[in-house]
Amino acid sequence: MIKTSQLSKRVSTAESELEILRGIELEIKQGETAAIVGASGSGKSTLLGLLAGLDTPSAGAILLDGTNIVNLDEDQRATLRSQKVGFVFQSFQLLPALTALENVMLPLELAGIAHAREKSEEFLSRVGLDERLHHYPRTLSGGEQQRVAIARAFASQPVILFADEPTGNLDTATGANVIELLFGLNEEEGTTLVLVTHDNSLADRCQRKFTMTAGQLEEAL
Amino acid sequence: MKSPIAASFRLLLRDWRGGELGVLFSALLLAVTVVVAISGFVNRLQFNLERESASFLAADLVVSSAKPVPLEWRAKVDTEGLQRGETITFSSMVISDNDEMFLASVKAVGGGYPLRGSLSVDVGSAQPSSRIPAPGGVFLAPRLVQQLRVAVGDAVYVGDATLTVTGTLLSEPDSTSGFFGYGPRLVMNSADLDATGIVQPGSRVTYRLLVAGSSNQLEAFRDWVDPQLTQGQRLLSVDESQPGIGATLERARGFLLLAGSLGVMLAAAAILVAARRFGERHTDQVAVMKSLGATKRTIQQLYALSLTWLGLLSIVLGSGIGWLAQSAMFNALADQLPGEINRIGVTPYLTGAVTALVCVGFFAWPPLARLGGVSPLRVIRRETTIANSTRALDLLLGAASLGLLMLWYSRDLQLTAALLGAVAITVGLGFFVAHGLLGGTRQIGSNAGSVWRLALAGMQRRGNSSAFQVVIFGIAIMLLLVLTAVRTSLLDQWRLQIPEGTPNHFVLNVSPSDEARLLTFFSEREIEVGELYPAARGRVMAVNGAPLPDRDSAEGGARQREANFTSTDTAPEGNEIVEGAWWRAGTDDALVSLEDGFAQDIGARVGDQLTIRIAADEFSVEVASIRKVNWESMQPNFFVIFPDQLLLKFPNMLFTSFYLEPDEKRRVGELLDVIPTLTIIELDVAIAEIKTIIDQVSQAIELVLIVILVAGALVLIAGVSASVDERLHESAILRALGAGRGTLLGAVAIEFAAMGSLAGVLAILGSEAAGWALQTQMLELDYQVQWVLWPMGIGLGAIIIGGLGTFACRRVVSAPPLKVLREL
Repeated sequence: MIKTSQLSKRVSTAESELEILRGIELEIKQGETAAIVGASGSGKSTLLGLLAGLDTPSAGAILLDGTNIVNLDEDQRATLRSQKVGFVFQSFQLLPALTALENVMLPLELAGIAHAREKSEEFLSRVGLDERLHHYPRTLSGGEQQRVAIARAFASQPVILFADEPTGNLDTATGANVIELLFGLNEEEGTTLVLVTHDNSLADRCQRKFTMTAGQLEEAL
Repeated sequence: MKSPIAASFRLLLRDWRGGELGVLFSALLLAVTVVVAISGFVNRLQFNLERESASFLAADLVVSSAKPVPLEWRAKVDTEGLQRGETITFSSMVISDNDEMFLASVKAVGGGYPLRGSLSVDVGSAQPSSRIPAPGGVFLAPRLVQQLRVAVGDAVYVGDATLTVTGTLLSEPDSTSGFFGYGPRLVMNSADLDATGIVQPGSRVTYRLLVAGSSNQLEAFRDWVDPQLTQGQRLLSVDESQPGIGATLERARGFLLLAGSLGVMLAAAAILVAARRFGERHTDQVAVMKSLGATKRTIQQLYALSLTWLGLLSIVLGSGIGWLAQSAMFNALADQLPGEINRIGVTPYLTGAVTALVCVGFFAWPPLARLGGVSPLRVIRRETTIANSTRALDLLLGAASLGLLMLWYSRDLQLTAALLGAVAITVGLGFFVAHGLLGGTRQIGSNAGSVWRLALAGMQRRGNSSAFQVVIFGIAIMLLLVLTAVRTSLLDQWRLQIPEGTPNHFVLNVSPSDEARLLTFFSEREIEVGELYPAARGRVMAVNGAPLPDRDSAEGGARQREANFTSTDTAPEGNEIVEGAWWRAGTDDALVSLEDGFAQDIGARVGDQLTIRIAADEFSVEVASIRKVNWESMQPNFFVIFPDQLLLKFPNMLFTSFYLEPDEKRRVGELLDVIPTLTIIELDVAIAEIKTIIDQVSQAIELVLIVILVAGALVLIAGVSASVDERLHESAILRALGAGRGTLLGAVAIEFAAMGSLAGVLAILGSEAAGWALQTQMLELDYQVQWVLWPMGIGLGAIIIGGLGTFACRRVVSAPPLKVLREL
């Protein structure tokens, strides 16, 4: 499903060049759930950005569902994302000007999927927000906002879902709730799930667990 | 994306509902509204003022001729679809049944007269009549009624004709056009002209063909008739016949166009600010959309389309509001302006639409176009930079498009260049000075108290955006200062043009023996009278011994000219010597000073010898100087002036001028009773009318100034609110950390006030440059550095921007910080 080889990322700062990722080798199969854990600044969010095609590596290859996304330009990667990739972010990233329903409809509309409204209503109902369809993000609690984000991520039925600290901004109880939803939907939809987290209990629920240390990745077996 | 159009509509609707479009849409709407309102108002005002001043001619265009106007000219007027009228004027003795007689200026009118303006005649009924006299009837000026001792219903004799007085002439539109006949007016119907037997070949008669219609038709007729004019025939239009009014209208038009151009510029500034803010606020949204799979093309298409809808909406709404606004402005002046107020035409709407398109295309679009380049990585890493700042190329393109727009709007290269130059100075100096000074303020700030440190650190941290804001504020204040300064000089100059007590009556043909009686008459009645000048009618016959052709000669080029000569040993006030020098007092050299136009007509220069004829005497003089005369001054002006000693040798009449209050009008009759041989030219009505027009135009200018001031204020508000989000966020954090209300508001107030005073400095530099260019080059006014504006500009900048900024940020101290933080 997803495979990297000799993936590295360097950024230039004023003083020197910083190597954030060094020769990452990673393979995750379809339907698997994988967690990437590590200290702040270890490079795990950078890796996630690269895997999802949000950024380009300095060297190496990334095969996403058989396509080497390193060779694609930004627009081709965007098209790929609209067809195959879903996201859940730490800071939810709902559009404040759109209602919950419209936020969920947005990726469906971008991908040109028919019956965007019905599908979105269905997914919002599955995350328990059928009473909140026309609320704006600012009137929703953090947990509710993240549930909208989860509905949005699953609504376009992606083959792979990336989650960046999905519970990072939530309290323990709400976080647990959101995790249940995430894993529940993931199981129902058969999606491949890659998540980045600090939270060991969350990481433990994944089938595979990787640890990032100073730009290098190791699988915890 | 299935249907980009539907999607863009959805985007627009959602943004609209979410309150994201407010500032951008308001700015666009403001642009269209200001442009439509001002250009509509200017069109209408111009139309009305031209109509009104056309009444000085009783037409838009007049062909004046010493011979009857050719029949085919009249036919041409009719085929061009223009209105036609005719007057025939001459001097004639009028006699009454009680054997009183008086030299009157007779005007025979027919058919369509007057084409512009109206007659006002007291016919004994409650309302004055505006009709011309019926055949057999005449209207007499009050003074003629008085001199002839007649009343309505009495008979008067003009030549061989017996006519009945049917009314007293209160006013006539073309009373001042040409001082051919100096006597009081008699208006008769042209049907009775043959019966008088006065008009015969060789008699001194002025035929006038009156023409009125649309400017295109007039232009066509003028082009057709102009080459066919022969000696003794002239074309007259408002500008040429009344230089005072012409110049006043020209300056008023210049000012209003300037105001309109400033409106466009202010609106563009508001849009630039608003679009930047819109772009910044949409960066996150675009990043999310891109992470969800939107391509660069999709994003650009979406925003381009939704901007197009926004532009169209603002054109429609702005046109509507603009129409209402100009209507309201016009109604505010309704009692001062004559009727016919419904013409605004399509041009203002077209101008508004083009303005909207230019503003959308060159000011709103660039920041949104760059949204397509936002990195989707921003959803994970907030700090990911985006190239969303205003780029030099955009500014250049924007300035170029704005320049073309203003040029199209004002059709005036100088005006456009002056304003763009001033803006360039403000922008250029702005970024330079703002950066330097912002750095300097940080130095001061680090040694100051915490409020100041906070404020100045904040300002400096936002270096580029602070500089941008300072420049925008500077431009807005600069444009307002320019407009205010130009308005002040304009109004001052108009007030000076016809000051209170300007002589409104001229007395000619005062024989030296009557001088004492005349002066006694005035001093007994406490009427102030001007200096007595000698005046002689004479003619320039030859230049350097080469005889000039006769004035009726068919040859082109220089020819003999007849003029009123005077003498004085002191250069007349308000005349400017452009060549040569004035003579010393008491000289008995044979010298002469010529008006520059007159000198050109006869082809004379300083040092040339002129042969002059007065009555039967011929003599030779040397041209000592050439003068420029201010014909707008309504003061006695002379083409030809000799030294006192020279003219004393000739039989001379004297002439002078005096001022009469409207209710003292009977003094004219009394004076003629005392010295019946005098000729009195009455200019009181004309001067009063010019004053009325000046008053109207002044009021219109004040009104337009207010509109532009409001537009300027809106730009300032847009500029302030553009930076509020960022400040709110920061203030909320500070507040959460325990900063007090006073500290926060103090810091915000200091920051904005500092930017305001910086903007004030820039504005003053720019406005002095623009003011100089506009006043000296375009409006032909004197320019003076307005020192008083300097502290005012800086102080007002600080107070207004500081006040607006503090007001806009007040929310942060009244709302719980958590709420503010959560909303951002």
